[in-house]
Amino acid sequence: MAWGGDEDRRPEDEGEEELDEVDYKTQKDAVLFAIDVNESMLVQPPTTHSKKAEKDSPIAAALKCAYQFMQQRIIAQPKDMMGILLFGTDKSRFRDEIGGRGGTGYPHCYLFTDLDVPAAEDVKCLKLLVEEGEDPDEVLVPAKEPAAMANVLFCANQVFTTNAANFGSRRLFIITDNDNPHGNDKTAKSSAAVRAKDLYDLGVAIELFPISQGGKKFDVSKFYDDIIYRDPAAEAGSLDELKTSKAGDGLSLLNSLISNINSKQTPKRAYFSNLQFELAPNLTISIKGYMPLHRQHPARICYVWLGGEQPQLAQSETIKVDSETRTVDKSEVTKAYKFGGEYIHFKPEEAALLKNLGSKGLRLIGFKPRSLLPTWASVKKSIFIFPSEEHYVGSTRVFSALWQKLLAADKVGIAWFIARDNVNPVMVAIIPSRTPDEEASETPFLPAGLWLYPLPFADDVRNVELSAPPRPADELTDKMREIVQNLQLPRAMYNPQKYPNPSLQWHYKVLQAMALDEDVPEALDDATMPKYKQIEKRVGGYLGEWKEALADKAGALMKNRAVKREAEDDDAPAAKRAKPAAKAAGSQMSNAQLKQALEQDTLKKMTVAQLRDVLASKGVSAVGKKADLLEKLEQWIEENV
Amino acid sequence: MADKEATVYVVDLGESMADCHNGRDESDLDFAMRYVWDKISATVAASRKTWTVGLVGLNTEETDNAQDREGLEGYENISVLQDIGPMTMSSLRDVRSLIQPSHSYGGDAISAVVVALSMIEAFTKKLKYKRRIILVTNGESPIDDESLEDVASRLNHSNIELVVIGVDFDDPDYGFKEEDKSRAKACRAKNEKILRKLVEQCGNGVFGTMAQAVEELAIPRIKPVRPFKAYDGALTLGDPSKYPSALSIHVERYFKTKRAMPPPASTVVVNTEHGGLSQSQTLDEEDTEMGGIGFSGVKQMRTYRVNDPDAPGGKRDVEFEDLAKGYQYGRTVVPFSESDLPITKLETKKVFTILGFVPFSSYQPFINLGETGIIVAQKLNEEAELALSALIHALHELESYAVARYVQKDGAQPQILLLKPNPALEEEFECLYDVPLPFAEDVRSYQFPPLDKVLTVTGSVIKEHRLLPSQDLNQAMSDFVDAMDLSGYDEDEDGKPVEYAPIDETYNPTIHRINQAIRARAVDPEAPIGPPAEILLRFSKPHEKIIDRAKPEIEALIDAAKIKKVPAKAQGRRGRKEPVKPLSGLDIDALLGETKRATAISADNAVPEFKQMLATAADDATVERAAKQMGEIVRKLVRDSFADLFYARAAENLRVMRDQLIGLEVPGLYNGFLKGLKKSLLSGELNGDRREMWFRYVLGAHLGLITQDESEVSDVTADQAKEVCRADVSVYVEECRLTAG
Repeated sequence: MAWGGDEDRRPEDEGEEELDEVDYKTQKDAVLFAIDVNESMLVQPPTTHSKKAEKDSPIAAALKCAYQFMQQRIIAQPKDMMGILLFGTDKSRFRDEIGGRGGTGYPHCYLFTDLDVPAAEDVKCLKLLVEEGEDPDEVLVPAKEPAAMANVLFCANQVFTTNAANFGSRRLFIITDNDNPHGNDKTAKSSAAVRAKDLYDLGVAIELFPISQGGKKFDVSKFYDDIIYRDPAAEAGSLDELKTSKAGDGLSLLNSLISNINSKQTPKRAYFSNLQFELAPNLTISIKGYMPLHRQHPARICYVWLGGEQPQLAQSETIKVDSETRTVDKSEVTKAYKFGGEYIHFKPEEAALLKNLGSKGLRLIGFKPRSLLPTWASVKKSIFIFPSEEHYVGSTRVFSALWQKLLAADKVGIAWFIARDNVNPVMVAIIPSRTPDEEASETPFLPAGLWLYPLPFADDVRNVELSAPPRPADELTDKMREIVQNLQLPRAMYNPQKYPNPSLQWHYKVLQAMALDEDVPEALDDATMPKYKQIEKRVGGYLGEWKEALADKAGALMKNRAVKREAEDDDAPAAKRAKPAAKAAGSQMSNAQLKQALEQDTLKKMTVAQLRDVLASKGVSAVGKKADLLEKLEQWIEENV
Repeated sequence: MADKEATVYVVDLGESMADCHNGRDESDLDFAMRYVWDKISATVAASRKTWTVGLVGLNTEETDNAQDREGLEGYENISVLQDIGPMTMSSLRDVRSLIQPSHSYGGDAISAVVVALSMIEAFTKKLKYKRRIILVTNGESPIDDESLEDVASRLNHSNIELVVIGVDFDDPDYGFKEEDKSRAKACRAKNEKILRKLVEQCGNGVFGTMAQAVEELAIPRIKPVRPFKAYDGALTLGDPSKYPSALSIHVERYFKTKRAMPPPASTVVVNTEHGGLSQSQTLDEEDTEMGGIGFSGVKQMRTYRVNDPDAPGGKRDVEFEDLAKGYQYGRTVVPFSESDLPITKLETKKVFTILGFVPFSSYQPFINLGETGIIVAQKLNEEAELALSALIHALHELESYAVARYVQKDGAQPQILLLKPNPALEEEFECLYDVPLPFAEDVRSYQFPPLDKVLTVTGSVIKEHRLLPSQDLNQAMSDFVDAMDLSGYDEDEDGKPVEYAPIDETYNPTIHRINQAIRARAVDPEAPIGPPAEILLRFSKPHEKIIDRAKPEIEALIDAAKIKKVPAKAQGRRGRKEPVKPLSGLDIDALLGETKRATAISADNAVPEFKQMLATAADDATVERAAKQMGEIVRKLVRDSFADLFYARAAENLRVMRDQLIGLEVPGLYNGFLKGLKKSLLSGELNGDRREMWFRYVLGAHLGLITQDESEVSDVTADQAKEVCRADVSVYVEECRLTAG
């Protein structure tokens, strides 16, 4: 369920497409929230009776965000860390050192949740504070003097250095409404700037989430521009827009903050970097690849040792043994293929040779109009690509020109694609996505760029025998059109963000309840269930009419066919007609005939071949003796007819 | 299932088959056997007991056949090499040794066919079989055509298919004609005619030339898969259990696409008692049982360990039976009793129900998450047929898709499917196709800068920039894309455009490469692996014709693009660039200079201070001092580490040190330090057993010696660096084994 560098939980469909060790730093993410606790952050919004009125103080909104972030992280990134540091508090706490005013090395910094993979206890503490407003330790009491930002930053520095020493991504999220913590105190500003540079050198990125209240603009030039650096790993030309969270436009402060923070939930990890994209001989640019779409699954079961004081995860190790259960060394084992009852063996270097079908890269072989892409040609998720200037200067402009042309001409590229060394080649269609905030964008939830859409090979296409359709019933089609027109999804699009995965949600709801010793919820609010009542209200009438018409037409068709069949039967020799119905080839029997046969107990007159035939046509395994087959067929008829 | 097969191969082993003809550098026999071995090995691969094979040699030195034993004339120099029976690897090996060109000729091909025919008749009796005789010959030995019609009628009577594949036989359909038949004895052209006549008289016969047969071997054979019915039940609109008006159509769902996988490789180990590793195993008659000779399968054994501070090494083994199942919630482990386990699974009922409809224009194929299904009405159900057809046509006319919730069976995880109409307009069939759509959790919001404009620090929008295409470049790209169009790459006989690289011509190169290699090795274990068949790599690069045609556009695009490759050296170089500044442009280095921290690196803030010290270092001595201090910090971290507590931190410091020193082109400083560190770690002088630090955190994280590949000025070669690691690992593994048991 985790993704990216997490090797042992890799989804099976990717089999051998393991991440190679391009970046040997642990591909994990650590996020520390630094939330400002000052008087204005604590101000409750005025109480009104309006439903849309603001309910949360800025600090409550910030903590709620952090709480949601923590829960999402447990589901989506179970190996990533997070922590919460409150600053400007009257109390101070850093790990085991607890002190009042200035008792620790970091006065007015309160490490509420230490940086780690969240535990149930952390979730509980935060939940109490957020939902019940329980603050037994009075941590949300602001200090009389503000915290020195240099201290806050160095405190964060220490938290990252000790707990997430070699994480690939480390980020400090600062949530504050104070754009000028040190006023004109030049010394304090300078030492903060120095500590910020330390964080930059340490590899920690600072993300600022400013809150603006009462229409006051949050002015980053007063202080934060000295603290924040451009991300050296970001794409050329990229400059993240700083989004200020505020209440207004029907959006509560909480929602505004949640949306700003959610956009940074997952660190942007590349699936591959600096891959060569060969547009034509002697024209190569470099690209990076990402996986913005990836199926999440509930975490796997683990094994727990209950013999100790605390339940403990048992670490599993596998050893390979031969037929005499002798442990074999890695160097002894090789790969072989079963063939004709024996093993066909290739030496390791030969196996490597077999796997090698060219070096990694994306090579264009031409373009096609989008209409030539069969609607059924789908096999697996697509990869998003974006240009990088690191190896080929000018990549971005060429990429942009290609993107614009493909959009304008409604064409797709066709290319040969090997994502990494030793990964199996695939054919892909290169499809452009529109800018998300553009009106015409089909995918406002996805970035603009190009997508590598894997095409099926001939080997992947199944041949399903399909019968010729009956004559189209125009009247039914016309009536059905009204139904379709009246049941458009909201905004006439499928927006995945409106449909959380019910299995996943349920799994973690129950798990959270068990972990926090709460009652297991009774039901799930499942957004993927159709709104039956609404459907009935909107198209119930049409549907009723349509069904009547359908019954008529179907009756006519049935009669028509019966006449035809009789005519055919008349041509056949008399002896054949005398045969019992069950003697027809199994798969030719209609469900009604089968049901009749079941009721009249004539199924057992069918031959084994006929039984197999009919079972196979129903998609039921046709293995076993006659008695087994009969049982299977009876069961099928009872369940399906 | 029921299709039993009996095939007899009749192979011409005559003297002339040993010669090479028509510019080939392999003998006629080798050429012909490429075809035969491929067919036989495909049979072996299938491992089906009911697919039986026999082998008859024509023009053998000996004579060994039933007809001859009965005293019939004209059956000389024909030998039954293998009676009809199932084909295994061992019989394949036996047969291989028998296929050698002889020094005889004069065997009669038609007589050999009769021998094969009798074998099949005797073996298959009156049972249901697919019967086939495959004759390969170069047609140089004389044939008696007297009994041609009798043989043909007997073949027809026994329902036997006759396939004759001749080396260098003419085939106008394929376009092969041997200009110079003089090499053959006078009878060759005549023989060819006789055989052709024989095949023509057969109800079921094929006559072809070997060149074509061999060429077609490279065309991958796709394994047919029986359609699998994934769903059989109602497709609903509304809830039929609550509302009488709700719609319910009985449908069936099959797979349209399903990713085919390469054959799985087994992990095996060489049986030591059988001697060394060899690709071909000579057969020991008593040892022909499964499992192969010389190799045996490897099983995985799982052991479980938990932390136990009292146990030696801090860990101890626990029995699998003593473990409970559970899930992880963050870092908290939540044990579940066996009876509680199912409650985390969402209870679902089998359902296929439409949520609503969306226009074509709101969908992009790249949001698909997987394989396609195909939905048709239940067979012989008039109501379902009409209802589904009406839905399909209505969707098509309105250019709409349906979005549906799909639960394959009770208890399965719900999916959201997009249903696409495929009405019977041009095609003969009608269906809905479906593809899986993402859920909220499956989408990660990544931010990227816009591609058609550049935003500046101050927030203004720039439309002309080095990152944006110029007018010229846009035009050149447009021309290029149009010139490289594949939709009308060729024309068929009717002048209709033919598309290049349609899906049914693209074969999965991985699967077929492995399958072809396995078959080749099964036939000839000693032969080296050849290059991949050309057809598999056909679409790995653009077609020459297309490139030629688009040459002017390609050149214009290259000119307009002005791409510059960054020299390899500049890519890796960090540091020494222009100083890094925060967004405000504040001169942070000057500030740092004022703080005077740069004389000693503190352990707490080692990474930033080390980097800052190097960035301002004026001389080599400072660099050396910085490296030395950093090294001391690493050693201290390891020394003070309780178990592996500080290892990650030490490793991170090492990594930064390594990167920076490569950047400053002083790899020697790192290499020197690392050699010392290794000694300290392995000898235990850093307060205990620190081997894990070396193997997992240093070598495992690729923090070994800096080689010449990474830094030109290094005096360590890649091999030297590897050698050091490898020797160490085996020692480590050995020691682990000793300590473990």
